[in-house]
Amino acid sequence: MQDISLHLLDIIENSVRAGAKTIRIRVINDEIANLLRFIIEDDGCGMDSDTLQMAQDPFFTSKAEREKKVGLGIPLFKQNAELSNGHFTLTSEPGLGTVIRADFENNNIDRLPLGSLKDTLLGAIVGHQEVNFFVNLISKNKGKEQSFHFDTEVIKEELGDIPLTYPDVIDYIEHSLIEGIQNTNMEDV
Amino acid sequence: MKTLADLKKIREKAQEEMKLRGGNVRIKIVVGMGTSGIAMGAREVMKAFLEEISQRNLTDVLVTQTGEKGLSSMEPVVDVIIEGEEKITYGNMTPEKVKKVVVEHIVNGKMVSEYVVASGN
Repeated sequence: MQDISLHLLDIIENSVRAGAKTIRIRVINDEIANLLRFIIEDDGCGMDSDTLQMAQDPFFTSKAEREKKVGLGIPLFKQNAELSNGHFTLTSEPGLGTVIRADFENNNIDRLPLGSLKDTLLGAIVGHQEVNFFVNLISKNKGKEQSFHFDTEVIKEELGDIPLTYPDVIDYIEHSLIEGIQNTNMEDV
Repeated sequence: MKTLADLKKIREKAQEEMKLRGGNVRIKIVVGMGTSGIAMGAREVMKAFLEEISQRNLTDVLVTQTGEKGLSSMEPVVDVIIEGEEKITYGNMTPEKVKKVVVEHIVNGKMVSEYVVASGN
């Protein structure tokens, strides 16, 4: 993967496949602590402790054998976090859901660029109308904290039976995201 | 600032339109968004579809994302499902190819044979 937003998209797709109804995504850019943190929390089917171990192993996949033999999404994300002197934790409970936390050392030379959060979030939100997304972007910088919240449940309530792929709705979501990303200085991190 | 009042306006406008044309989704586009698809540029393909829908004001098209489908060597892969027709699968997609598929297949109803990698179910 060329940037962290692509990893984020990959993780979101895992959550959707796990049957999540709600996905919470938090991105925290803490300049004081030199930390770029991603927390992705879903209410999907979760994993037991054996599967949890194997999910971090590049030679494991939950997909049927005939379909695909390896699953590289989680191991690659973990590897990229660790390469930047960061941390990666995966916790899960069968029936309750999964939480992934990936920390990157912000100024590390091996840290991947953030990439386009907007493209990742817009595609995921519009491409999975059945899932509610709660997005929270936070930037902390010299005592100044800025945050952006985006909740698709409110939008869907307001829209009733109008799909999210309706052209004006795509524009609405896109511009809301762009605004939030600019306000939290996450355009080009 | 985008507000919920903006959404109300969109909803009213969309409901008017739906009354006029019966209000059903006529075309479904499914973009493969598995790990290998993402690594090969599926996010940019998704983005291109959303841009085209928005710019051309296509109100009867639904775009969704899905996981791997066993066509990893041809990622990014996209299905186009038009009501009453068989499913067409396009492979090795790029944003440029998306534009062509939208104009020729989605708008004018003629599939772009050169990009097709599978058809039917």
